[in-house]
Amino acid sequence: MNRVKTAFLVVLGLLWLAPVYLLLVNASKAVDAYDAKAVWRPAGFALFGNFGDAWSKAALGDTLVATTLYSVVSPLLAVLVGAAIGYAIVVLRLRYGFAWFVFVFGGTIFPLQMVLMPLFTGYADTGLYDTRTGLVIVYTAISVPFAAFVMRNFFTGIARSVFEAAVVDGGSLLRIFRSIYLPMAGSALAAIFILQATFVWNDLLLGLTLSQSESVRPIMPALTGLQSTYGGAALPTVLAGGLLVSLPTVVLFLAAQRFFTRGLSLGQF
Amino acid sequence: MSARTGARAAPLFGLPAVGIVALLLYLPFLWTTYVSFTSYDGLAAPEWAGPANYRAMFSDPDLLGALTNTLLWVVGMVTLPVVLGLLIAVLTYGHRWGTWLRLPFLLPYAISGVAVGVIWGFVLQPDGALGQALGFLGLPGAHTGWLQSGPGNTLMMIVAVTWQAAGVNALLFVVGLQSIPGEPLEAARLDGAEGFSLFRHQLWPQLRPITTVVVGLSIVGSLKTFDVVWVMTQGGPGTSSETLALSMYKETFVLNDYGQGAAIALFLSLVTFAASVLYLRYQLGESREQG
Repeated sequence: MNRVKTAFLVVLGLLWLAPVYLLLVNASKAVDAYDAKAVWRPAGFALFGNFGDAWSKAALGDTLVATTLYSVVSPLLAVLVGAAIGYAIVVLRLRYGFAWFVFVFGGTIFPLQMVLMPLFTGYADTGLYDTRTGLVIVYTAISVPFAAFVMRNFFTGIARSVFEAAVVDGGSLLRIFRSIYLPMAGSALAAIFILQATFVWNDLLLGLTLSQSESVRPIMPALTGLQSTYGGAALPTVLAGGLLVSLPTVVLFLAAQRFFTRGLSLGQF
Repeated sequence: MSARTGARAAPLFGLPAVGIVALLLYLPFLWTTYVSFTSYDGLAAPEWAGPANYRAMFSDPDLLGALTNTLLWVVGMVTLPVVLGLLIAVLTYGHRWGTWLRLPFLLPYAISGVAVGVIWGFVLQPDGALGQALGFLGLPGAHTGWLQSGPGNTLMMIVAVTWQAAGVNALLFVVGLQSIPGEPLEAARLDGAEGFSLFRHQLWPQLRPITTVVVGLSIVGSLKTFDVVWVMTQGGPGTSSETLALSMYKETFVLNDYGQGAAIALFLSLVTFAASVLYLRYQLGESREQG
């Protein structure tokens, strides 16, 4: 029985890896060596050349820089903003705290489709359209509700006496937040950061709607553009692009699997 | 300083979160709701049109097609990846190499929807990787145009997303299995229960809470399907593989019919919301009766 189980899992697993194999093999072929009739057979190794093509010819380089900026800055801001309201509600006992919490967390209930058009027109009117600042702001806003959710829960688990002792010691509220509560929340902050950074990195819809120039456009919309411009001729370049943009999240995922599991069971994604 | 000071300063700490969410999520939400009852092209001021956009949504064959495709996505996503995820979880749980055997299924989860679309668009090209594999094995269908017509193209894209989502569902089910106490299981095993019977009578009832989470996430996620379709077919050929999320984008940003796009967005939101509420209530009701 156990042997049957293992055999079944191995076969299914190999089937699952087949598209990954195809991606690796064909992203590694030189554009001239690519034969549409023999995609299963490896032919040479020009992966880094194809990376280079994707980077320069398709201008993925510029968008990679921009996307890295969004994926680092927005989750950082969101984590701070979320921690601040968590601190206000739980530790400082903000009046109607729970109602405010529901308000902030409710921001994620509806699909993105509900906010796209007003964001587009609003951004166009205020000059935020197609700017890096605009995208940082929108990605922060999207990430705040989840950050608030996790941080409120986290701070609820910290004994009240910690706060009382800190107040007796004469620290200001900002100082208590910065040098006592934030450091204690290290692991929760890291989990939110990793999950939101992945979300921002993988976003297509907001980037597609709120940007157009190469230096602002995030990586996923840029990759879809690459696919349609190049068509079948330079498929290895497109696939190399797909591989290139997947590497960071795959590495992050493998390194921090348990954060992902935790985030998932909290209902993110 | 006292606890009073804390309460007085609290709004300052709460303001950034409330402000940014109100300004970038709630305000747009209200505006979309209003625009959905107007005729609006993004340039001239919106003109009140009553429920016209909603009426159009249920009479326009293209939009009805998108609605059907979206339902197909929901049905597909609450069955294929969920059943496969459960199977993988049950088979790998407690297995000596469980973690390693699960890894191939988890890998695609770390990839974005866009990259999944790029990879599967390549696999499903006419006479592409899948066709060549079928031909090599002597199976029929080697020359099928997988993405060339509906509803076949939607089904193939559901397969692509199943490839991405099954592993993470398996991971969630493993978390569920880990929370099941060991002794009753051992007792049942000693009583001779094994295989499917053990699963049905011992594991499955205890997996209910996590199944609720997995199915709920699948419903909400599939209603919003956009990325993979956008990359693989852009909703085409024609509108044969459009989903509501895609129609919303096209109506608004391609056809400049903001009112129609807004109506689709609001409809999608209401369905998502209703589905979550009904589903949760149903599940909670059932478990209360059982408990």
